[in-house]
Amino acid sequence: MLASAATLRSLARVVRSKNAGPLCLSLDLFFLDEQAYARAVSSPALSVASVAALYGFPPEQVRRFDLPHLFAIKLTLPRRLCAGDPGDGDVYGAQQHAPLLELAL
Amino acid sequence: MTAVDRLLSQHRPGGQRLRVLSASGQLGYGIPKESFERGLARQPDLIGCDMGSIDPGPYYLGSGQMAAPAAMVRRDLELVLCAARRLDVPLIIGSAGTAGARPHLQATLSVLRQVAQAHDLSLKVATVCSDVPLPVMLGALQDGRLKPLDEGAAGSPLALPQPEQLQAAAHIVAQCGTQTFVRALEQRPDVLIAGRSCDTAIFAALPLMLGYPEALALHMAKIIECTSLCCIPGGRDAMLAELGMDDFILESMNPLLHATPASVAAHALYEQADPWCVDEPEGTLDLRQARYEAIDAHRTRVSGACFVPRAQPTLKVEGAARLGARTVLLAGVADPTLIAQLPAVLQAVGQRVRSLLPGPWQMVEHVYGQGAVRPLPPEQRSAHEVALMLEFLAPDASLARTAAAVFKQTLLHWSYPGRLSTGGNLAFAITPSEIDAHDSYRFVLYHLLEGVDPESVFGIDLLHWHGAQA
Repeated sequence: MLASAATLRSLARVVRSKNAGPLCLSLDLFFLDEQAYARAVSSPALSVASVAALYGFPPEQVRRFDLPHLFAIKLTLPRRLCAGDPGDGDVYGAQQHAPLLELAL
Repeated sequence: MTAVDRLLSQHRPGGQRLRVLSASGQLGYGIPKESFERGLARQPDLIGCDMGSIDPGPYYLGSGQMAAPAAMVRRDLELVLCAARRLDVPLIIGSAGTAGARPHLQATLSVLRQVAQAHDLSLKVATVCSDVPLPVMLGALQDGRLKPLDEGAAGSPLALPQPEQLQAAAHIVAQCGTQTFVRALEQRPDVLIAGRSCDTAIFAALPLMLGYPEALALHMAKIIECTSLCCIPGGRDAMLAELGMDDFILESMNPLLHATPASVAAHALYEQADPWCVDEPEGTLDLRQARYEAIDAHRTRVSGACFVPRAQPTLKVEGAARLGARTVLLAGVADPTLIAQLPAVLQAVGQRVRSLLPGPWQMVEHVYGQGAVRPLPPEQRSAHEVALMLEFLAPDASLARTAAAVFKQTLLHWSYPGRLSTGGNLAFAITPSEIDAHDSYRFVLYHLLEGVDPESVFGIDLLHWHGAQA
């Protein structure tokens, strides 16, 4: 049985972020197995509203795709700044996954 | 008879599968040679390489410089050109020189030419120029045929450009699609080298000309353009696709990287906003019905994608403009009292420097340990050590350098409430700690261009190279 407050990092084998073009950020979460995926899919912490709040966007700007055959969830967000604009600290968007790691699912 | 002539006249779909070898997803960073040579031993019908991307940011498109180091670009081009000529198969390279604007294409062609001369190779080279003429862009902007690419356009970080921003852009390119590659290949070259391209066009155009189904060819192309990244574990080794009329078979040329149904299906998520739909100039590739089946532990068979053509082609356009010369200042801070009031201190120092050095310079802060990579809640901010990476931008390098140097010295000896460390406020790992960091550019365009004929945008040429002759 899963512990009552498992973190996302303990349930996933991949937690990654990457640009999907310079205006869009993609978060890909691949879970360990069907059980971990089922827990993630139904967790309020990964709802569109929660993830939008975590990243500071209105919910209507966040899209979520559930991919049960891959035990994966994909979330697509806008970027706050266009990649490479002055002040952008992550041109590839490759380190924007960090706030997800400790989410309690 | 050129390599494209030979393939088009000799290969018949429905007979032996078409063997497509993807040699590199980032030509110029070192093609793993052993895997590539295993791919050559499989007698591929064509060799393709992707050489560019928008990912590395606006500098490359704006400046016309390549991201990959010149010596490695030469090494990789030599590897693929010599192999393609030895097997007499087409070599297709997309997004030449990172960003695929005219200077990138010219620089890549020039290295390719040197390689051809050094090896006494005679060949025909088709080129596609992806630079969009300014009048085409201005007309589209005026007619409302330039559209935002991010659907939730409210609060988009990239507004529609003003005409003067288009005029000021250093380079504007469009991603040419499969149909443009087909037009270039109709010139019957040995080698095709294109400016900014859709990754798919590199690998899908010849299969389309041979009569393979468009959806299959595009899906295959979409996967193999990243070479072995679709495998588990992922890698950069050459990838072979064997294309039939109903499916294609994926196989990494590194025996330790395995294309499994799960790893290949998962790859559809990579760098895509939508895992099911891939937008191409000529239509949309729909992956919802795609099937992935293991052939053995190393290979996967793929089928089932659909292609929905679009009535009129749309083009993704990219443009970058120069912001100025850039100097960066690198320093560490370890005094907790200073770290606690760093934002106010940086602002005060900025004002002092502004009074000493008027002019059109600006500073952009990156305070590592305090939320430079992403916003950090206060309890996660570092109290004991932070890194400053301060960018100074100005129209000319001299002003940028001057602002950085004056800022450095002013901050070094700045007095703040509670200061005990009167020896200096900054820890330098290197001196000089101000470094000229190229020019700074930003994207001014990442939009959709509608209602243009690709033939009016993409210029195609055919070059004849004769062996060692200069």
